[in-house]
Amino acid sequence: MQYDVEIGGRRRQVAVTRAGDRFAVTVDGVTKQVDVARIDAHTLSLIVDGVWPADVTIAPGAPGGDLTVTVGGIPIPATLNGRRRWTRKDEGGAGAGPQRLAAPMPGKVVRVLVEAGAAVRARQPVVVVEAMKMENELRAGRDGTVAEIHVREGMSVEAGALLIVIQ
Amino acid sequence: MRKILIANRGEIAVRVIRACRELGISPVAVYSECDRTALHVRLADEAYAIGPSAPRESYLRIDRLLDAVRRSRADGVHPGYGFLAENAEFAAAVRDAGVTFIGPSPQAIATMGSKTAARRAAERAGVPVVPGTPDPLPLDLPDREIAAVGSRIGYPLLVKAVAGGGGKGMRTVTDPADLADAVRSARSEAGAAFGDAAVYFERRLTRPRHIEVQLLGDAHGTVLPFVERECSIQRRHQKVVEETPSVAVTPSVRRAMTSAAAAVARAVDYTNAGTIEFLLDEAGAFYFLEMNTRLQVEHPITEMVSGLDLVRWQIRIARGERLDVDPERALVPSGHAIECRIYAEDPDNNFLPSPGRILQLRAPAGPGIRDDSGATAGLEVPIFYDPMISKLVAWAEDRPLAIARMRRALGEYLVAGIRTTVPFFRWLLAQPAFVEGAFHTTYLDELLRSRNGRPFAEPTPELEELAAAAAAVDAALSPAPAGVAAEAARQSGVIGSNGSGRWRAQARAENLRGM
Repeated sequence: MQYDVEIGGRRRQVAVTRAGDRFAVTVDGVTKQVDVARIDAHTLSLIVDGVWPADVTIAPGAPGGDLTVTVGGIPIPATLNGRRRWTRKDEGGAGAGPQRLAAPMPGKVVRVLVEAGAAVRARQPVVVVEAMKMENELRAGRDGTVAEIHVREGMSVEAGALLIVIQ
Repeated sequence: MRKILIANRGEIAVRVIRACRELGISPVAVYSECDRTALHVRLADEAYAIGPSAPRESYLRIDRLLDAVRRSRADGVHPGYGFLAENAEFAAAVRDAGVTFIGPSPQAIATMGSKTAARRAAERAGVPVVPGTPDPLPLDLPDREIAAVGSRIGYPLLVKAVAGGGGKGMRTVTDPADLADAVRSARSEAGAAFGDAAVYFERRLTRPRHIEVQLLGDAHGTVLPFVERECSIQRRHQKVVEETPSVAVTPSVRRAMTSAAAAVARAVDYTNAGTIEFLLDEAGAFYFLEMNTRLQVEHPITEMVSGLDLVRWQIRIARGERLDVDPERALVPSGHAIECRIYAEDPDNNFLPSPGRILQLRAPAGPGIRDDSGATAGLEVPIFYDPMISKLVAWAEDRPLAIARMRRALGEYLVAGIRTTVPFFRWLLAQPAFVEGAFHTTYLDELLRSRNGRPFAEPTPELEELAAAAAAVDAALSPAPAGVAAEAARQSGVIGSNGSGRWRAQARAENLRGM
């Protein structure tokens, strides 16, 4: 089986061939023998090249990918075969196109920190949403100009609600 | 006492249930709509639904809690922390229903709940307080006189809500020109958060440490202070790491501070568990900050170095028992303990809340490790409450060993489905200043600002390759045609019958396209 896995903006070609309990896994031309045991619906125990053990959890949904693959305690967003339609819309990314900043969770808008037409820089706080008893600053994902503001202070918003568009 | 109702949820409700079981007391849980599957509900002998998920409609409803007390015929109520734990009206209502409130008297809660009244009580007990205004500022004080009061206190100063807590209604003012605005915004925040817009001023100490003294008081006049807890590692005025003892407290400061704490408690006839918070300045002088009239989140570290079970003592004190503990046992720590508060937050995304379903959970264990948790795999972390899912505690013979043990435990901690602050703690416990114990209350905020949002754990190319391999193998092992889409549908399908419909439809469409 042939897969296309995108991690950290880089696409990798991965070929998986089953050989008994083991898999021959080729990532970008380098082949490793991987012994795979499924622990539960989301966890695999791997032993790479007969020596290196690693627990990997694979969970759906992540800002920046379809999946969160956790290896060595580090969550790594990944996208398999370019199924980008499962990607959340809130991360915007540093790439092309307008950033549509959406509420990552339900909550209340406590402050709108920018005005329409204002120039913003990447990582600049633009809206503050209160949820789980905490005020959370949502930041611009890229440099740009505030094109649209869809919320007012005091408004309740659902998860995924469009807050601000940065052009 | 044979049956205790726990007027709380999550990990602290689980903690109290455990103490009840060990005393042969039957634990009773209450739960809001979204907490139906919470661990505290599943562990209790009885469980009573008390209303919708919003705290104001359930865990903060005194009438519904008292109704559950009556229906269960509980003869004790433990408030946990947060919610109504420091609400004098609730404590009085429980008492008036003929039921034992496991905590201090309503009078002690009311006195210490007002920061200005608490400061006066400390002064009466001969304990120094941070210089500040003795009374709340009059609500109609003109700006000109606000400025005069500010210059008497000196800058930088803090505007603080009289009813405050958790950094709400608090402003730091460095420039006298900003004072009037800071007073207005602190008043409005305090009014919204606590229903009380009163504020007062306090001098802001430079680089203080937050040191606190846990104590127990019984109904027979005994007050038992414990060795101090160091709680200076804070993010936005919220503690994130606590440890005991503090590297900054000498034996003579410990003696003075614990006696001062006991004196404040005696001044208000304090009973049950409480904590006196102090600021310790760089010269070693300490000042009373406030008293928390409840069990604290960080109580386990005190339990680890004293060998005493504070929740069990809360219950024993409430039923009138004598606190027959050797004071030396509380004041001489056995080893060192550290706590990390594990939150459902994404540290790589400005600590945004990360509610959702926990798909996989493997908590650390082994020598010296204690994980006080309310989380299990399959649990939905709700958006309505504090995002703390667990308190991870490490104990060892000394501080370096306790740090090593905590780092080992953080390495074992595995949570999938939601983001947690575990990667952040792995980073923090490797910081040289943390390892040396050289920090103060604004250390962490300054350090985080200087990082400018860099991820706490960056995968190496090797780990990325391994992740790519694992994602592909997982897909190869999953039933065709759409492992990912099926996973996504399964994950969201459990949130509720309404919200899941759209996801299921999309997953079906995805599967159809795949065929």
